[in-house]
Amino acid sequence: MFSRIVRYISLVLLVAVIVASAAALTACPGGEPAKIRMRVLCAGSLMLPFTELEKAFEAKYPATDVLIEGHGSIQVIRHVTELYEEADIVAVADHSLIPMMMYNVTVPDTNESYASWYVSFATNSLGIAYTPASRYASEINENNWYEILTRAGVKLGLSDARLDACGYRALMLLYLAEAYYQDDTIFEKVLGEFKPPLEVQPGETATIIVPEILNPLSERVVLRGSSIRLLALLESGDIDYAFEYRSVTEQYNLNFLGLPPEINLSEAEYSELYKQVNCRLDFQRFSSVKPEFTGQPIIYGITIPRNAPHYEEAVRFLEFLLGPEGQQILRQNYQPPMVPPQAEDIDKVPAELRALLK
Amino acid sequence: MREWINKNSWAFFGLILGVVLVLAAAGFYIWQSAPAEEPITWELTLVGKSNEQRVLSYEDVLSLPGEEARGGFFTTVGVINGPFEVKGVRLEELCALVGGVTATDVVSVSATDGYSIVFDYEQLGGDIETYDPVTLREIPHEKLMVLLTYEQDGKPLPHNDGRPLRIAVVGSEALLTEGHYWVKWVNNIEVFSLQ
Repeated sequence: MFSRIVRYISLVLLVAVIVASAAALTACPGGEPAKIRMRVLCAGSLMLPFTELEKAFEAKYPATDVLIEGHGSIQVIRHVTELYEEADIVAVADHSLIPMMMYNVTVPDTNESYASWYVSFATNSLGIAYTPASRYASEINENNWYEILTRAGVKLGLSDARLDACGYRALMLLYLAEAYYQDDTIFEKVLGEFKPPLEVQPGETATIIVPEILNPLSERVVLRGSSIRLLALLESGDIDYAFEYRSVTEQYNLNFLGLPPEINLSEAEYSELYKQVNCRLDFQRFSSVKPEFTGQPIIYGITIPRNAPHYEEAVRFLEFLLGPEGQQILRQNYQPPMVPPQAEDIDKVPAELRALLK
Repeated sequence: MREWINKNSWAFFGLILGVVLVLAAAGFYIWQSAPAEEPITWELTLVGKSNEQRVLSYEDVLSLPGEEARGGFFTTVGVINGPFEVKGVRLEELCALVGGVTATDVVSVSATDGYSIVFDYEQLGGDIETYDPVTLREIPHEKLMVLLTYEQDGKPLPHNDGRPLRIAVVGSEALLTEGHYWVKWVNNIEVFSLQ
């Protein structure tokens, strides 16, 4: 009886060992091929459209598992160039960041820069997000918004210019508005006072100087670290209006007041106008990024880092994004695609993508 | 017993083999799971507004009066981290070692990866927006502290969470704050005056 029990236990253990070994073999390389996990780092404002892109791409290429990870645009690049993480695609809300932060930084143990090309693939505009419950919601338009924002009882949300590009772009918009509406009090009246003060140095190119600490003195102005935080305050009614990107506002089903292209940083044809304002931050959040930004159109850029572990899959993803299917997904998510997408150094762009570009 | 083994040798050796393999697998799993304990060598430089300087080792920081509190943070895109149980030293205590901080000062906290953030006096005292860890809606808070932490959930900080020293904005309620305050790999704290 006892020996029979021992035999059975031995047999069970033997079978268990064989099954475990077989399972380990199938999970290891050399067994059945696992999906290719492609890591895409993107700006926060791209999260929703890129999540849709992910689903569509994976449906078309089921052997690839796309992992979308969102951050602020500078952080997106820093994850690769300063934290030495591997990523297959980098997509940012300011295309100028790619040459600034990737062209002159080399991949460790190589003489190669992290990138030598990028594609400009989408645009955006800055405007005012609000809800039907916002004070004077039925009255606000592109001619009276700056007066309505200063009315008693109206609360304005602003993202922190030291931490969020949407914040310093809003400051630029307010400065440009003074010339457009021929009212040189707009900047000061809409923002109110700050401690330490927000200064504007006049000149051919005016410079808005943002101090190390940004504290609005007026209770009318509510400051938050990122523009996304302002959306929740709009929805709850804690603020009435907020400067926000059009794409994000519409993705969240909020009302959007579009502003003239001369001030909303959306059109390349107004580049020379936008350049008339600089924003300098006295707080340097990232040692690798000089915190001074010139007004320019909002253009999204994308590239494949030199050390991308899945280069072929990344090229395939870019083909998809830049092609008609990807552009349609961007449109459906209120992210205007550049048609055609553009690249300055087209000879350096992967050959598979060149036919899609201008 | 010997007779039984002789009679059922294959069963016996099969049993021994099975037990050995199971124990080996368990041992391998435990060995893989156990984090390598490496000694922590670190220098934290404190700079006061009159340029007083002090350099603390990791052990120096651990020897300072510590606080325990709870809290977490979320990233730009709303990914929640924590809440954690943390232990650390109040930022004001560290500033006090190099002359202290007053209402007209700011404190800059920098890290080895080139990242930095500044806190004003009110923020050091807990005047920072807090958020519900489930809904991410802003909610009021009671006492909040800015700590330089060295322990998270009972263990030294993992590397990806800022080992060995990280800023945390925490209190008794396990609320969340924005992630840009939670500086990892802190190596420099400087007080300077805005005047």
